[in-house]
Amino acid sequence: MDSLRQEKVQKFEEFVDRRLKPDLVHAIAERDKIFDQQKIFSDLRKNIENLEKNSVTSLRTLVNLGSEVYMQAEVPDTQRIFVDVGLGFHVEFTWSEALKFISLRKEKLERQIEEYTRLIASIKAQIKLVCEGIRELLQIPEEKTVEGRVF
Amino acid sequence: MGKSEVKGTVTSLSSMFPAEETQKAAKMVEEKLSEKQNEMNQLKEFIADNTSLINLVQKLPDELHHDIMVPFGKAAFFPGRLIHTNEFLVLLGESYYTERTAKQTVEILKRRGKSLESKVDALKAVMQDLKAEASFFDSTASEAAEGLVEIREYEEDNSTKWASQSGSLELETPSVAEADNKMGASEDDDYARIMSRLEELEKEELAAEDNEENLEDEDEDANAVESDSNEDELIKAAEGDGDEDELTKPAFHRKKDEGYSYLDHGQRYSESQSRKQLQQFNDKEPIEEMSNKYKHQDLTNQFASTGLTEEPVTKGEISHGRIIQEDTKTLSPSINASAPFEKKSVQTSKSEFDSSKAFTGSIVEHTQNLDKSSVGTNTTSLQSSGSQPSKPVSRFKMQRK
Repeated sequence: MDSLRQEKVQKFEEFVDRRLKPDLVHAIAERDKIFDQQKIFSDLRKNIENLEKNSVTSLRTLVNLGSEVYMQAEVPDTQRIFVDVGLGFHVEFTWSEALKFISLRKEKLERQIEEYTRLIASIKAQIKLVCEGIRELLQIPEEKTVEGRVF
Repeated sequence: MGKSEVKGTVTSLSSMFPAEETQKAAKMVEEKLSEKQNEMNQLKEFIADNTSLINLVQKLPDELHHDIMVPFGKAAFFPGRLIHTNEFLVLLGESYYTERTAKQTVEILKRRGKSLESKVDALKAVMQDLKAEASFFDSTASEAAEGLVEIREYEEDNSTKWASQSGSLELETPSVAEADNKMGASEDDDYARIMSRLEELEKEELAAEDNEENLEDEDEDANAVESDSNEDELIKAAEGDGDEDELTKPAFHRKKDEGYSYLDHGQRYSESQSRKQLQQFNDKEPIEEMSNKYKHQDLTNQFASTGLTEEPVTKGEISHGRIIQEDTKTLSPSINASAPFEKKSVQTSKSEFDSSKAFTGSIVEHTQNLDKSSVGTNTTSLQSSGSQPSKPVSRFKMQRK
């Protein structure tokens, strides 16, 4: 009987370690990527709003040629901006159009983040379930959750 | 040879290096190897980027302006143009930038490329070592699995020295020794044989010394020195006694090629000794033998003449003195080098015969004679030109003969 139990416990543990934990790690990584993208677009939005505020028509920047070697570049007309809309496409926008696009993009990203958060939560729940099962098999007393303050 | 008892141990290889451990070690080494491989790939990428950047920097100043899409953040572009195409802002590290022209930037990038390449080379060396380790572990693992057995034998007495040496060698590389053990015994035997032969020859020389007069002592000294120096050759060809002379000859040749080495060799002995030897050979060996040596000696002559003028001159005087007395034996008085060579060739057979008898490095002395006599001329010339007065030392020796 004991050996059977030991086997089951082992199986559960293996399941947790091999399937659930990597899944969790993977999901968290994906969510972080989307966070980054979100940040990029919010930065872009802020910059465009800045440009609009200061009515900047032309711009001088330093362009990275690679390996941190920069060269001066001039943007004569800042009215037109090309924004990456995914799948390798860049669309020409005016400022207001760009801002609109950015807000749309942000919404999409937020929805994606929500999905990933749900997935991560479910994986965590599964891991907890398996751990509980192991505990039952080993007949370790359940952990009591702390309710409120203990005086 | 090392007579006496042979002790030995027999150990199973698997007991020394358990199979699993070697496999683990092999895996670890492989992991490290793959790590290094990744680093190597990264470095190579850097180098490739660097070269492409150098090309770009060289091309940009060709135009005043370049139309480009200027990135604005990570997700947007502005159409624009590159201006001031000869001015580059280069990061030196630690947030230090510098404005440079295209040429200067190219130089900076080239220096960076060099340092990257040196890193790659260092990494390659490390990888080589790791590979060697890995292959070594693999072979040990497979051998251990096959149940190879390491056998060590120890011999005593004379051969203890190098037997223990070979034993110590085995100790150093025990795992390798198992494969070498099979060969090790035979190698030890060969070495033992060679050493014993050397000893015998030396003993013979010593015996000859005791029996004969100073000349023989000198001969043996010369031989001893030569044999010491020629040990390598002797070891290689420790087959026949007669081989020694032949060995000394090539060794002598080699020395002559080195020129100074030979002269230093001669300097080791007192000049008198060398002269004695020369005298000896002059007396002992007929011209025929000398003809052989002339070949050698010519080389030495040239070297001596070009190198150290003083020595040959002094020696030449002495040899001249001797030569005078040996007029009967000397070759035709032609001073030019060409003639003696022909004569020598005729008499080579005799000289060989003599040389086989003569144990000592007669060659050495003859050359000295030749060297002394003339600059870059044959021995015959030396002999024929024996107009210079001989020194008292040489006369002394000549009397003996």
